[in-house]
Amino acid sequence: MTRWSNIRVAALFLLPAVVSVVLLRLWPAAIAVHQSLLAPRASSYSLENYLYIFTDPSFLNSVWVTLLFSFIINPLQIAAALGLAILFNNKLPMTGFWRTAVLLPVAIPQSVSAVIWAVAYRPDGLLNSLLQLVGIGPQRFVTSPEQALGSIMLVVSWIGVGYWMTMLIAGLQDIPKSLYESATIDGANGWHKFWYVTLPQLRRPLTFVLVADTVANFLVFAPVNILTGGGPQGSTDLIMNQIYTNAFVNGDQGSAAAATVVLVALVLVIVLIQFRLMGDGSER
Amino acid sequence: MDRITPRQALRMVVIAATALCFLMPLYWLTISALRPEADIFRFLNPFGPWTLIPNQLTADNIVGLWSGSFSRAIVNSIVVALVTVIAGLMVCASAAFALAVIEFPGRGVVFTTMIVSFLIPFDAIAVPLYSIMRGFNLQNSYAGLVLPGIGNGLAVFLLRQFFQGIPKELREAAMVDGMGWFRIFWSIYLPLSRPALVSAALIMFIFQWQAYLWPLLIAPSNDMKVAAVALAQFSSAYNVSFGLIFAGAAFLSLIPMLIFVFFQQYFTSSVAATGSKE
Repeated sequence: MTRWSNIRVAALFLLPAVVSVVLLRLWPAAIAVHQSLLAPRASSYSLENYLYIFTDPSFLNSVWVTLLFSFIINPLQIAAALGLAILFNNKLPMTGFWRTAVLLPVAIPQSVSAVIWAVAYRPDGLLNSLLQLVGIGPQRFVTSPEQALGSIMLVVSWIGVGYWMTMLIAGLQDIPKSLYESATIDGANGWHKFWYVTLPQLRRPLTFVLVADTVANFLVFAPVNILTGGGPQGSTDLIMNQIYTNAFVNGDQGSAAAATVVLVALVLVIVLIQFRLMGDGSER
Repeated sequence: MDRITPRQALRMVVIAATALCFLMPLYWLTISALRPEADIFRFLNPFGPWTLIPNQLTADNIVGLWSGSFSRAIVNSIVVALVTVIAGLMVCASAAFALAVIEFPGRGVVFTTMIVSFLIPFDAIAVPLYSIMRGFNLQNSYAGLVLPGIGNGLAVFLLRQFFQGIPKELREAAMVDGMGWFRIFWSIYLPLSRPALVSAALIMFIFQWQAYLWPLLIAPSNDMKVAAVALAQFSSAYNVSFGLIFAGAAFLSLIPMLIFVFFQQYFTSSVAATGSKE
């Protein structure tokens, strides 16, 4: 068959991509699993690293902080992205420009964003002087254990929401106009149209955004590393910061690898659950 | 759109106000870069007219930035992003072409491998990847910075979807004319896929321009540091020079801004194209 004769040319086209993906993604993932099973200063496999991290209060704290962070930030960001997408989906003059403005923060290095916000959050910073305008006293933001995680969420959302908005706008533009027209004939109001036409039609792009956003928020690192370093009192110590601290500050590669495996497993489980909930898995 | 109703005007105002909230930090960043260092914090609190309007402009910060070691870091960042996008487009587009167009045994397996690769969060495997790269002596090298950005599973996926939408008849006609796979790829598929190639290029550009953890690990030396890392270290250094930090940050934001504004034309043209179809 010609299919077999195609294999050589296909291999030629695929080789660079396959080699780089296997070497630079799958192999390190395998190494992480391997390292996590090696106890420190031993050559036999064991679960010691996992037992260690699950009794380490600072790791347990970071899991808790990460879960709390996800449960709050993901619904908020997706609701915001959807609201923005609906607002910005039109052909009015200038909308294209404003859309670009909202998208822009995603392309700026996160370290830059973190530095800008660090100055905005200072006690004498821009945010406090704006709050003062409306009669609110100075807030502590990233130096307060109660406000620090919320402050990180604000930065991360400023960075990411425009990106998810853009994906959802593409989805909105794919919805056939005729659906809205027939809904109007049936006497549907704006809310009905949103609930019975827009949301169901947006299911695929929404699934994608939900999954990709969740994954991205599990991996937040630079803003935490730069703005708070995980503090105050561990209140912003997301897992990625914990892994970095374990590996490069404490030099404990074994427990960093175990924490990495736990993180990837957590991400995959949540992604699978989301696919299930959105009923997308059976569709393909 | 000849006449704008009051309702549409109101919507435009809401849109502009929302977008300005997103732009505010960047605007403030830019004016801070252009005013004397002493002024950056002087007018910050309490809020007054000079908080957002610079009363005095200077190029000192920008000049200072370029005469220091930061210029090297910016060059590094640009080289890394540029090489990644060019090499990455070639690698990902050819893989996507094989996956979309050429029928061969094992295609499903290769495709699944690509999907799995982008489900593994990159930052999460940065630490073991670092130990592999160290084994090949790739610390503090362009290769170490660029290589992880080239095999991008998401870009392969996106391009494959697009290639699949190109009518089969085109390549069948080309084969009758005696074109080989490579010619079909190069002179039919690539020219027809400009929007998808732009999106894939943007994905790869953002990956590198955003990168922080990986360059922090693989290229910490002064010569090979990328701008994002160099900038973060300005603030942790002993003598914090906010003038330089703001000038560097403004420059790092300016480049993606220019790229986005340029590609905005592609977005609007695709919107216009769908409009004409209605």
